Amino acid sequence: MSRRDRDLDDEIAAHLRMAIEERMARGESRADAERAARRELGNVAHVKEVTREQHAGLWLERLGQDVRYAIRSFAKNPGFTSVVIATLALGIGVNAAIFTIAYGVLLRPLDYPRPEQLMYLTAESPVTGNTQNALSAPEYAEFRQMNRSFAEVGAYETGGAAYTTGEVNLAAGDRPLRARSISVDAHLLKALAIQPEQGRLFTDEETARWTGTLPPPIAMLSHELWRTAFGGRPLVGQKVEIEGRPHEIVGIMPAGADVMDNHTQVWLPLWLHPNMARQRGSHVLYVIARLKDGVTAKLAQTELSTFLENWGDHAGTRDHVPTNRPLRPTDHSLQLRTLQDAIVGGARRPIWVLQAAVGFVLLVVCANLANLMIARAASRRREFVLRAALGASRGRLLRQSITEAAMMSGAGGILGVWLADAGVRALIHAYPTSVPRTSELAIDLPVLLVALALSIATALLFGFVSLGRGPTSSMATALKEGARAASGGQRHRARRALVIAQVACAVMLVIGAALLLRTVYNLKRFDAGFDRSRLVTFSMTLPMGSGEPETRAQVYQRVLDRLRSVPGVLGTVAMSGLPPNRSPDAISTPIENYTSDDGRHSEIIDYYQFVMGGGDYFGTMGIPIVAGRGFEPTDNASQGKVAIVNETFVKKVWKGQNPIGQRVRPPGWTFGANDDVWHTVIGVAKDVRQRGVDRPAGAELYVSLDQHRVAPPSMNVVLRTTLPPAALSGTIERVVREVDAAVPVVRLRDMDSVFAESIRRPRLLAQLLGAFAGLALLLAALGTYGVLSYTVTERRREIGIRIALGAARSQVLTQIMRQGLQVTALGVAIGLAGALAVNRLIASLLFGVQPTDAVTMAFVIATITTVALVASCLPAWRASRVDPNVVLRDE
Amino acid sequence: MPQRGLSRIELLQGTLDLIILQTLRWGPRHGYGIAQIIRSTSSETFQIETGSLYPALHRLERAKLIASSWDTSDKGQRVKNYELTAAGKKQLQAERSRWEQLASTMATLLNTPLGADS
Repeated sequence: MSRRDRDLDDEIAAHLRMAIEERMARGESRADAERAARRELGNVAHVKEVTREQHAGLWLERLGQDVRYAIRSFAKNPGFTSVVIATLALGIGVNAAIFTIAYGVLLRPLDYPRPEQLMYLTAESPVTGNTQNALSAPEYAEFRQMNRSFAEVGAYETGGAAYTTGEVNLAAGDRPLRARSISVDAHLLKALAIQPEQGRLFTDEETARWTGTLPPPIAMLSHELWRTAFGGRPLVGQKVEIEGRPHEIVGIMPAGADVMDNHTQVWLPLWLHPNMARQRGSHVLYVIARLKDGVTAKLAQTELSTFLENWGDHAGTRDHVPTNRPLRPTDHSLQLRTLQDAIVGGARRPIWVLQAAVGFVLLVVCANLANLMIARAASRRREFVLRAALGASRGRLLRQSITEAAMMSGAGGILGVWLADAGVRALIHAYPTSVPRTSELAIDLPVLLVALALSIATALLFGFVSLGRGPTSSMATALKEGARAASGGQRHRARRALVIAQVACAVMLVIGAALLLRTVYNLKRFDAGFDRSRLVTFSMTLPMGSGEPETRAQVYQRVLDRLRSVPGVLGTVAMSGLPPNRSPDAISTPIENYTSDDGRHSEIIDYYQFVMGGGDYFGTMGIPIVAGRGFEPTDNASQGKVAIVNETFVKKVWKGQNPIGQRVRPPGWTFGANDDVWHTVIGVAKDVRQRGVDRPAGAELYVSLDQHRVAPPSMNVVLRTTLPPAALSGTIERVVREVDAAVPVVRLRDMDSVFAESIRRPRLLAQLLGAFAGLALLLAALGTYGVLSYTVTERRREIGIRIALGAARSQVLTQIMRQGLQVTALGVAIGLAGALAVNRLIASLLFGVQPTDAVTMAFVIATITTVALVASCLPAWRASRVDPNVVLRDE
Repeated sequence: MPQRGLSRIELLQGTLDLIILQTLRWGPRHGYGIAQIIRSTSSETFQIETGSLYPALHRLERAKLIASSWDTSDKGQRVKNYELTAAGKKQLQAERSRWEQLASTMATLLNTPLGADS
């Protein structure tokens, strides 16, 4: 007891004593005087309570009391308490987890100085649907020179036809290592404002000299690779073997430094083959630029539009220059967007969809808990009424309710954040590349604040709900009639409304999840143009410095020959780009007797496919030849070179003509040959999806390297086999080691895994949404069950009388079931309307299914109805079992 | 019933405060003394429950309009005395003139015949 409380007690006691003394002095008996004085003062406890409340400073003490009281009431009801806390933890947990992703990926600024100044420049070909492409080297140089808006414009490149494929072989100690690489110029590093942790960055001289056949042998390492592969020992100035060539390590990057979420481990100087550097048709450079201080993105965009009006005049050519009005398939425009937008890209919409979905889950959770609380408030009504009679003010009771709710929300919130942390970790571990910027994800302050806000909001909601319509409204009647009389009608309507809302939310979530599951199913089943069953693939890269194209061809040939003789292997081929997830080449290719719409004698070919083991290629891959023939071993001996095109190529170039016998001239530098020679088309292959199954096939040219006896550094080997990849891995490792011990075997897996990888993002989205929908559905079912059980309990007497008067038990059963279905039907109707209203949100995430798909809707309605039936069954059965004798005796 | 007392406090809050301040004008008094004066001078016109007095006293003390001190009464009992502070005296002046203005306005209003303006 505090000093203030003691003083108050003394003060009141003194008052009573004086009053009694005075009355006794007037001649009243002590007993009478005491009674009269007390009556005069009123309810002493209440007077004290109200007086105490005048001192707001007491709140802490009162809070302690409330907390103690709450703990006592939790301990009395451990089941109820743990259900509430667990439900809250789930609701807050999923929200915190998804918000961690939404904040970390979409909202948190990039880890560069002044990140809002960074812009990403891409080439867009709206006619062909090829968006966010790289720029050609001449375009990059021209833009660097023309622009006035940018303080610095830089370029990088990760793969394609230039130096590397985005990965390099690196010798750390005595084992070869495969590391992710990027090639950057000095301008890019300046634009990003990255400072090296040790050593120096590349100089302009080192990254702009595109002569000779090889880039300068220097490199920088990421902080992480330097720690893990080299133990953090002093490395600057020393030589490390990269791609079989000693490279001097000039610097170590700071921890976390990266470009475009590339997970870069090795930084190399940007270098292009001189031929490619001149080609306007070769889109190979990705451009990042930093705005000058005070220049807005809008201003830069306006400036870019002006350039696009007459880029050709500036470049001195009409051939393949960017324009404001791309009308033909060969035309392209340039577009600026913020770097953050570019990194987040297609992940933005799925993440917001998930955020909305967990929002709905939280609503369902709240509705469920509100329902629980209403039921509990009814049973606690007596307690509250009693406490009010004993002197607790209404505000005090409300505070007590809110304290209890806040404690449960708090516990739920803490558990939820813990769940979210574990969930996000597990998610990143399971799907490291499905979400951009995962390396930066963490539960940080904004996430905690959101979790706290959610906890407080839910606490307030429960506090008010659990107090119901207020114990002071009809205190006397409540005391008399007890819990049984709890004003059924209104309370019941509120509970029904909550269940309807729950069902509606669940319907929307289940529809979303079902549509995405259909999408994944469609993507999985989609015919990418080749037979992917029983294919095993791996890739290897031969050190660039250690051999000529001819030597590389011999190495690959030996690997293929040896693998072909392994028992259980039916066919073995190698190819430069592995469908269905390779990057495009977009190489300008001269075509005989051909004039394009804009008067050129060449055409941009989206994909070059260089194949080895050509005699087997189409058979092994299971790609049908629709006209002419495939490659044959005899082609290799003949003088004339041959090529095969796909159906899209024919449609694009030789509309209506016979493609067989036409000639094309692929540039020799693209595959390591010295000269450009004419190739005669001998066959047409069915289209194969090269860059994602949901993207249209592009024009493709197959060239057999067996004819040329050269090979590019990197190839993908594909085996058709009766064996699983695990059974083959030992053999493959041994074969490759025997041929060249310095070459690692990477990405060994079956083609089904390659496909799974290509649809990982929609699949992750579908799985998460499915889990949330399942959760919502379960909660809605519990809500339906709860409200019906409550109805049955409340109407036991009425049901008993009806049964006593001769109502059939089956009638009672159907009546309760009907009630359950009515609530469900209303919820379904509202949910369907809601789903139709927001289906635009997910339309762009779907593949092969309309957002209004009738089959999906029917399936969802059937599912929800079934769940509702199951949830109504038990209460209905209980109602039909009511024994009139027992009920009437209770009265 | 406790509720009636509670609502009475709310109803008379401003008035009761004014009465208490007025009572303390002539010097310090304890709670029981204040209650006696109010009862005797208002001659039962105001049915102020003694119970509402203490919350009002503590509220005024918290607002620093009155100050309290523990004292020993002539009978040797420990009692809590309240007295006006400077702010309390000022408040009393302001409240009085406000109250008088209200009273005279009400009187005028009630004494004006209906429709006298038109």
